[in-house]
Amino acid sequence: MGPSPRIAVIGAGPGGYVAAIRAAQLGARVSLVEEQEVGGTCLNKGCIPSKALIFNAEVVELLKRAEEFGVRVISEPTYDVTRMLERKQRIVQTQVRGIHALLKSWGVALIKGRGRLIGPRAVEVADAGGTVQRVETDRVILATGSKPIKPPIFPFDGDRVITSEEALEPRVLPKSLLIVGAGVEGCEFGFLYQALGVSVTMVEMKNRPLATEDEEISSLVQREMNKRGIKLHLAVRVEKAAIESTQVVVTLSDGQTIAVDRILVSIGRRMNTEGLGLEEAGVVLGKRGEILVDDRMETRAPGVYAIGDAVGRIMLAHVASAEGKIAAANAVAGDRGHSMNYAIVPAGIFTLPEIGTVGLKEWEAVEQGLKIRIGRYPFRALGRAHTMDEIVGMVKVITEQESDRILGVHILGPHASDMIHEAAIAMRLGAKVSDIAEMIHAHPTLPEAMMEAAEDVHGSAIHLTRRKGPPPPAGRAGDGRQGP
Amino acid sequence: MIPEGLRYHTEHEWIRQENQTAVLGITHFAQDALGDVVYLELPKVGVEVRSGQEIGEVESTKTTSPVYTPVSGKIMAVNEELKEKPELVNQDPYGRGWIVKIQMSDPSEAKHLMDARQYGAYLKEKAD
Repeated sequence: MGPSPRIAVIGAGPGGYVAAIRAAQLGARVSLVEEQEVGGTCLNKGCIPSKALIFNAEVVELLKRAEEFGVRVISEPTYDVTRMLERKQRIVQTQVRGIHALLKSWGVALIKGRGRLIGPRAVEVADAGGTVQRVETDRVILATGSKPIKPPIFPFDGDRVITSEEALEPRVLPKSLLIVGAGVEGCEFGFLYQALGVSVTMVEMKNRPLATEDEEISSLVQREMNKRGIKLHLAVRVEKAAIESTQVVVTLSDGQTIAVDRILVSIGRRMNTEGLGLEEAGVVLGKRGEILVDDRMETRAPGVYAIGDAVGRIMLAHVASAEGKIAAANAVAGDRGHSMNYAIVPAGIFTLPEIGTVGLKEWEAVEQGLKIRIGRYPFRALGRAHTMDEIVGMVKVITEQESDRILGVHILGPHASDMIHEAAIAMRLGAKVSDIAEMIHAHPTLPEAMMEAAEDVHGSAIHLTRRKGPPPPAGRAGDGRQGP
Repeated sequence: MIPEGLRYHTEHEWIRQENQTAVLGITHFAQDALGDVVYLELPKVGVEVRSGQEIGEVESTKTTSPVYTPVSGKIMAVNEELKEKPELVNQDPYGRGWIVKIQMSDPSEAKHLMDARQYGAYLKEKAD
C-alpha cells in the first residue's frame, strides 16, 4: 500500500463522518457514502432534534413559574408547534451544513447513495435514480447505524402508531400518548410530551424506568414522573395494540386496556446490517445482527472495519465517534494497534431534569462483588440550585472502599449532562475521591454538589448535617439529612 | 401549640384515632424543621403497612424526609389535596395537611405513643 491509502466509509452518521474526517487528517483519500443526510440518526432523527424540542419545554416550564421569580407574564404561555418544529429544523440544517463544510475542507468525497460491499476492497453505490458506481478502495469502514425495532404486534401507520422518528415531527399533538418502553428514549419522550401538555402513559416490562441505570436514579425519575402526572405501568407487557376508529386500544399483560390517541413504540434499535454484502465479503454477524469486531474495530474480513450502532456495543453517538477515530487510525496505519476502551463512557439522559452518568452503577458494583462506599449530595442543599429554582435531584458518587477510587458517578439534576464530565476526567486519571473532595470548586456553582458528594463518601460534607450512626445503606434516595 | 387529643411518634408524626381509623400527619415541629414542603410521595390506597415502616416521603425546599407510620394496618385514604397543594402541610399540619388514613389492625399500638405533654417534653429534651 502506498503512502496515501484509499478508505471508503459507508454511513455518514456521528460514527462515519468522524471516521472519514479523522482518516483524511491522517492522510488517507476518503470516500464517504451516505444514502440520506449527513449526521445520521443522531443529527437528523435523534439527539439534536429531541434536545431542541426539550429546550422548548424547558422555556415554557420556566415561563409558567415566572411569578415565583417575581416576573409577570401577562398571558399564559402556549406552544406554537409549527414554529417549534421550524426552529428544530433550522438547528439541524445548520449542523448538516457544518458537516458538509468540514468534509469539504478535509477533502472527503461525499457520495450520495446506498453503499454495499463488493468483496472487501470495493463498494458499490446506488443512488436514488438507480445509477450505480463502483468505488475501489484499500480499506472499508462500515458505519451503517441502526433503526427502531418495529415488532409486528404493533400496527405501525406513521400516524397513530409511531416510532421515535415520527415522534420528533408532531405536526398535531395528540391529547394522549402511550409510550411502550421506559428506557432512555421512551423516558425522554415521556417528559417532553407531558411538558407539551399531552397526557402521557408509559408501559415498561421491567420493574423500574431506566432499568439499566443506577437504581436511585430510577427512583428519582419515577418520582418526577409522579409529580408531573406521567402514568407509569411497570412489569407489564403490551399483549395487543389495535387501531379502532380514532383511537389506539392497547391491552396489557395484566388485563388492563388503555385507549389513547397515539402510541410510540420505543423498545430499542436494530442494526442496519442487511443487504450490504457483508457476509459475502467475509464480515461475520452476531446473533442480534451486529457486526462482530475486535478491539481495533476490525471485522473478521481483514481491512474491513465497523463502528457505531452497527456493532451493537454501546449505542451512543459519542461512542460511535470514538470508535470511528480508532477505526480510522487503524485503517490508515494498517496494522498498528489502536484499541477501543469502553471503561469510561459518560452519557446524558434528557429527562426533566436531566441525568448524567459515568462508570459503574450501584447494582453493577454489587453484582461484581465490590466493596463500595457511597456519597450523596442533594441539589436542594446547594445555594446555586436554589438561585435557579432547580432543586430536584442529587449527585451520587460510588467509590471502591479499599482504594478510594471512583467507580461511578450518577447525577440527576440541573445540567447533569454537563456536570458529569468532571467525574469522567477524574476517573480517566484514576483519581481518588479525595482529589475531587479537596479540589477547590468555585462558589456558587452546581459542581459544588460534586465536591460535597465526594466529601460525603467519608461523611465529611460540610453542608450536610451529621450522619446518624454509620454511613447510610446503599439503595436509598436521600437519607433525610438536611442541607443549610 | 401541641394539640391535645392526638398521639405522637418519636419521628414527629401525629395520629388522631377515630374508632378503628388513624388519621396521620406530621407535627408542627416537623414541618417547621423541613421548611416549605413542595411534594409528598404518598402510598397507594389499599397497601398494608406495619408500625415503624416508612410509608412515604416529604420533599421540602431544604430536604427529603421519610414519613413513618407508628401504627399497623391498611391505607384507607391519602390526602389527594396535597398533590396540588403540598403547602397545606406547612399551613395546617394538624388539619387540612393530614397525609393518610389508616385502618388500624391493632389499635393498642396507639397506646404506646406519646400524648401532647409527653411530646412537648420530648421536643424540649431534644432541643437541650
